[in-house]
Amino acid sequence: MSQGKKILVVDDDRDLRDILRIVLEDAGYAVALAGTGPEGMEVADRERPDLILLDVMMPEGTEGFHVVWKLRNRDDPYFQSVPIVMLTAIHQQTTLRFYPDSRDGTYQAGEYLPVEGFVDKPVEPEALLKEVARALATGRKT
Amino acid sequence: MSEDPVPERSRALPATEVLIGRIGWLIRLRWVAVAGSLAFIEVARRVLSIEVHLSRLLLVLALLALYNLAAEFLLHRMRRGNLVGRERPEAGGEGGPIGPIARFLLPRTPPGVEYYDGQAAQAALFASAQIVLDLIFLAVLLHYAGGVENPLRVFFIFHVIVASILLSRPSTYCVATLGFLLLAAVALGELWGVLPHHSLEGHWRPGGYLDPGLVGTQVFLLGVTLFVGAYLASSIAARLRRREIDVVVLTRHLEGEARRLQEAYRDLSAAERAKSEYMRKVAHELRQPLSTVKTALSVALDSASDSMSPRARGLIVRAERRAGELAEMTRELLSLALARGGEALAEPVDIDLREISRDVLDEMAARAEEAGITLSVQVQDALPRFEGNPGGMGDLMRNLLGNAIRYTPRGGSVSFSLGVEAHEMVLQVDDTGIGIEREALGRIFDEFYRSEAARAHAPDGSGLGMAIVKAVVDQHGGSISVESEVGRGSRFRVSLPLREERAESTGPVSE
Repeated sequence: MSQGKKILVVDDDRDLRDILRIVLEDAGYAVALAGTGPEGMEVADRERPDLILLDVMMPEGTEGFHVVWKLRNRDDPYFQSVPIVMLTAIHQQTTLRFYPDSRDGTYQAGEYLPVEGFVDKPVEPEALLKEVARALATGRKT
Repeated sequence: MSEDPVPERSRALPATEVLIGRIGWLIRLRWVAVAGSLAFIEVARRVLSIEVHLSRLLLVLALLALYNLAAEFLLHRMRRGNLVGRERPEAGGEGGPIGPIARFLLPRTPPGVEYYDGQAAQAALFASAQIVLDLIFLAVLLHYAGGVENPLRVFFIFHVIVASILLSRPSTYCVATLGFLLLAAVALGELWGVLPHHSLEGHWRPGGYLDPGLVGTQVFLLGVTLFVGAYLASSIAARLRRREIDVVVLTRHLEGEARRLQEAYRDLSAAERAKSEYMRKVAHELRQPLSTVKTALSVALDSASDSMSPRARGLIVRAERRAGELAEMTRELLSLALARGGEALAEPVDIDLREISRDVLDEMAARAEEAGITLSVQVQDALPRFEGNPGGMGDLMRNLLGNAIRYTPRGGSVSFSLGVEAHEMVLQVDDTGIGIEREALGRIFDEFYRSEAARAHAPDGSGLGMAIVKAVVDQHGGSISVESEVGRGSRFRVSLPLREERAESTGPVSE
C-alpha cells in the first residue's frame, strides 16, 4: 500500500535523484530529496519519511555507511525504527558487511549494516519498487 | 656503498683475512705433524724394529709443540687486532708501510693494484718465519733419526707446498732452496764427521751415510724434487689465485646487478600499482554517470513507452542495453583494478567464505534455474578463518559460477565445492558446458579475451571475468588450474593458502 507513504531519497547524483523521484511518484509515493549525508539527516528529522533510500557512495568512498550509523546512533526512536534501503554500485551485498572501520569509532569493520534492503545500480525500476515495498511492509528488523 | 661501473680489484680480496686464515690452517697442520711424528716413531720402533734416538726426538717434538702453542697465541693476537671494525685500510696505511721483504713474500697482485696493508705484511712475515722454523725442525728431526738414511726427508716438499699457498712464487723457490740446503748440511755434516750420526739401525746398510756417491745422489734427488715441486705448486697456486680474484670480482658485479634488478622490479611494481590505481579512478568516475544513463533509459522505457513511436522505442531499447553493458564493464574494470592494486587498495580482512558463497549462490541459483541448469553445491561445514579481500572473493566466485552457467547449455549441470584440503582453501567449479579449446586455454585469463567459441555461444561479454578471477587469485597468493574438454565441460580449481602459509613475493631476487 503505497498511499500516503513518504520516501526520502539521498543521493548526490542530481539526475538520478530526479529519475528516482519520477519512478517513486509514479508508483504513488510522496518523495523528499537530499543531496548529501548531513542534508539527508536534516530532511529526515523534519519530514520523518516512512523509508529512507540511501546511496552508498556519496560523494566518494563509503559515506553512506557513516550516514547509516549516524542515523541509527541517534537517540530518537524514530531513527531506530525507520527502514533504510541502500543503493549500491559496489560489490553488492558482500562488501557491505565488511566495510572498513569508522574513523570516529561508531562502528567496527565486519559489523552488519543495520539496513533493511539493497538495490543495485544501475537501478531497474521494477526491482527498486519491489524492494521498497518489501522493506516498508517488513519494517525495521531488530 | 658506492656503485662502481668497473669493479676495482683493489677492493676485491680481503687479503689479510685470507692470509690469517691460512696461517691458522698451517698451525693446525703442525699439530697433525707432531702427532704424526709420534706415530711414525712408534711404528718404526714397534713394527719395523728400527732403533732411534728416542729421547732427543721427543725433546725436539716437545719443542715443536711449544713453538706451535706460541704460534697459536700470536695468531690470536693478530686476529684480535684485525677484528676492531675498521674500513679496509689503504695500502700502506694502517699498521705501517709494506717493507721490501714483505713485498717479496706476498703473492703478486695484478699490475697497478695495491691491496695489501701493513697487517698483511705482518702476517706474511709471521708465516715465513714459521715456515723457516718448520724447515729447521724437520732437519733436526731427520738428523736425530738417521739423517740421509731417513726416507721421510721427502717431507720437505710439504713446506714447499705450504709456501706456494701462502706466499709468492720467488718465496716458494727460496723455501725449496732452504730445504735442500738444510738436508745437504745434515747429510754432508754427517759424511764429513762434523755432525754425529744417529743411525736408524736395522734400516739402511750400515755406513751408507759415509758413501759420498750414495749421499750425493740422495741429496741431489731431493733437490730436484723440491724445485720441481716448487715450480708446480706455485703454478697451481697462481692459477687458483687468479680464479679467486675473478670469482670475487664476478660476485661483486653480480651483487651490483642483483641490486639493479631489485630496483627495476620495485619500479615496475610501483608502475603496475600506479596503473591499477589510475584504472580504478577512471572506472569509478565512469560508473556513476553510466549507471544514471542506463537508469534514465530504463525508466523512460518503463514509464513512457506508450507515448513513444515504435522507432524511438526501439532505439531506446538498444541504448538501454548498451548502457547496461557499459555499466557492467566499468564494474568489472573496477573489480579488476582493485584485485590488481595489491594490498594498498584493499586491506585484507577476516572473512567468512561461507557467507560470501551463500550470497553468490543465491544469486546464481536463480540464474541457473532460468537457464535450465542444475546447480549442486558442496560447502564444508567448519571453514577456518580466512583473511582476504571480501569483494575480491565475491567477484571470484561470481565470475567462475557465472561463466559456468553461461557456457553450459540447457539441461546441463554445474557444481560448486568449497572446503579445506591440505592447509589450503580449495574452490572448485565444474560444468558440463561447451569446454575450452586448447589454443584458447593459455589466453583465457587475458583481459578482454574471448575465444571464438565463447563469442559464438554468448555474444555479450566483456572478456574481463577471468582476468578478474586471476587477479584475485594472485592477490591472495594462490593458484588456479583449468581442465577442459571441448563438448564435455570444464573444471576450474582455485587453491588459496591459509593465512600463515601466505608468502609475500619480494621480487626476482629474494634477500
